[in-house]
Amino acid sequence: MNTKVTIRRLNTGVPGLDQILGGGLPEFSFNLIVGKPGTGKTTMAHQIMFALATRERPALFFTVLGEPPLKMLRYQQQFSFFDLDKVNASIRYVNLSDEVAMHNFDQVLARITQEVEALSPALVFVDSFRSVMLESQHPRKGSIKLQQFIQQLGILLSGWQATTFLIGEYLSERNPNPVLTVADGLLSLEQSVYRNSMVRQMQVIKMRGQATRPGMHTFRITSAGIEIFPAAVVHVDSGETTAATGVSQNRARLTMGIPRLDEMLGGGLPSGYSLLVAGPSGSGKTILATKFLSEGVRCGEPGVIVAFEQVPSRSWIRTLDDLIRKEQIGLINTRSLDLSIDEIVHNLTNLIHRMKATRVVIDSLSGFELAVAPTFREDFRESLFRMVTVLSGLGVTVLMTSELEDRYIDLRFSPYGSAFLTDAIIVQRYIEVDSRLKRVMAVVKVRASNHSNEIRQFEITDEGIEIGDPVLDYEGLLGGRPTRMVDADTVVRGKP
Amino acid sequence: MPTLKSDFYSEAIRRVLISRAGTAPDAGMVAEATLNIWRQMAAWLAPIIGIRGVEVLFSRALQLTSRAFPCLVITGDQGDSAALLASLKANLAASATNDAMEAGHALLVTFTELLSTLIGESLTSRLLSPVLTFPSPISEQETEL
Repeated sequence: MNTKVTIRRLNTGVPGLDQILGGGLPEFSFNLIVGKPGTGKTTMAHQIMFALATRERPALFFTVLGEPPLKMLRYQQQFSFFDLDKVNASIRYVNLSDEVAMHNFDQVLARITQEVEALSPALVFVDSFRSVMLESQHPRKGSIKLQQFIQQLGILLSGWQATTFLIGEYLSERNPNPVLTVADGLLSLEQSVYRNSMVRQMQVIKMRGQATRPGMHTFRITSAGIEIFPAAVVHVDSGETTAATGVSQNRARLTMGIPRLDEMLGGGLPSGYSLLVAGPSGSGKTILATKFLSEGVRCGEPGVIVAFEQVPSRSWIRTLDDLIRKEQIGLINTRSLDLSIDEIVHNLTNLIHRMKATRVVIDSLSGFELAVAPTFREDFRESLFRMVTVLSGLGVTVLMTSELEDRYIDLRFSPYGSAFLTDAIIVQRYIEVDSRLKRVMAVVKVRASNHSNEIRQFEITDEGIEIGDPVLDYEGLLGGRPTRMVDADTVVRGKP
Repeated sequence: MPTLKSDFYSEAIRRVLISRAGTAPDAGMVAEATLNIWRQMAAWLAPIIGIRGVEVLFSRALQLTSRAFPCLVITGDQGDSAALLASLKANLAASATNDAMEAGHALLVTFTELLSTLIGESLTSRLLSPVLTFPSPISEQETEL
């Protein structure tokens, strides 16, 4: 007979929080929500309270000095989760400022006990505990000390089978507060301002009895409340070949929608692969990506595009617009400058699931880097790796474009060193022939597959991209200034 | 700024005030009824917004209303709220019955409107519903908003 206690996990009502907590909030746990002013502690507490409180399982919200209750009620009402019908029906606010102002913890504890006994709440919130801490510097003679107070409060509330939250801003490594050891759970909220962007992040520092998702997770506060974007998890490779990561000769190939490109890739792009298209500005990366998506629609393979680039109005772009309007292609278009990659991955994953998409385009990594908040740019490469891994885990085929300054002294594919992250690479370049700029492209890599090693000239027309024959008569193409080979009897062949 | 809601509060408060003061009240009975309603409102609000929060709103309401009703002007330092309320009661009781009724009514309406400005009409009505009986048609309108 299994006599181990089963801990019920409560759904917090904060999107993303249950995932980070490892499946929800343990019932009857004693939790702290900490963070500096303005980080969203009270909002998170309210969102959880309004999600969980019912007539049968009511909530008590104790307000202490700090944010005046009038202001708190005024501002919290702005969130859509604030359900007026629950106030006084399943949620009771109790102000403790008078008891706290008397510097007497016995009295505070007595008042909390009295209210808890009267209502038998399933949820108890105390906001903010920092005020209690500050008052504790002037304890009344004979009154119990802060540590005893917190311990007694913890015992009282767990004994009353209440899930409890203390809200405050007491995280000092130098002076660890006793409340930290008593707590079962510890959620820390932060906001960092760097240049013009502000980023909110949170982490679960502690949650007894369950495996939480480690690391910092970004979140936003909107009129709907807090939404957390859990950091993508990169699973350790078990060594087993999965559909997404394994190399299989039988892997289906996707057509690219550009004549002759499939042939260059060795018969199309293997399904589930990630392809990097690198090239200088105007070389045709976006067109290639657009064709990849519209070809997908033609083949019954829905796609999603994450666009960070301003796109010119050409016929092929109008085609893309039409497909987006008809919801055959999903669009994530953002000009925001405070994004985290996790937020993009979160939105992208949702859209992929909703559209049942199998093709994904990210146009471009350069625009993406600009859109990401400066705080995250240092970790851009690592985050990119996480994103590619997550997308690969979903089994989608990804095409990413990357702006690459033409350098004729070395051969580079990506400014982020991201070339190794991808399974396939197409590079585009400008070359000078007879005082004209010509475009060339080559397939640099297709993992575990044969592919063309030819450098082919191509042109951009109203129809898209027209790939010509291999450039056979010139050498030194990658140096940017090819010279005609001595025995060549034609100039650049291939242009139809 | 009169609104539909202020008329709504005004009617509800007048109804309670008349019922508490009795059918043929004198100024003293009106003063007693006014303070009685106020104490009830404070009793419901103080646990939620704190005694200090209630007192601040009441002082502001008194200040605003006393411009139109001289009997609400409380002079001198009253020390604490009990002394202030005692002075207020004495002032109202010393007025003509009609004046006391109008002043008491205006004070309570202003207080309720101030609260409503801060926390919204719906929540104000909800918190004060044990004291003021609001007619149901307005409540329904309100929930639709």
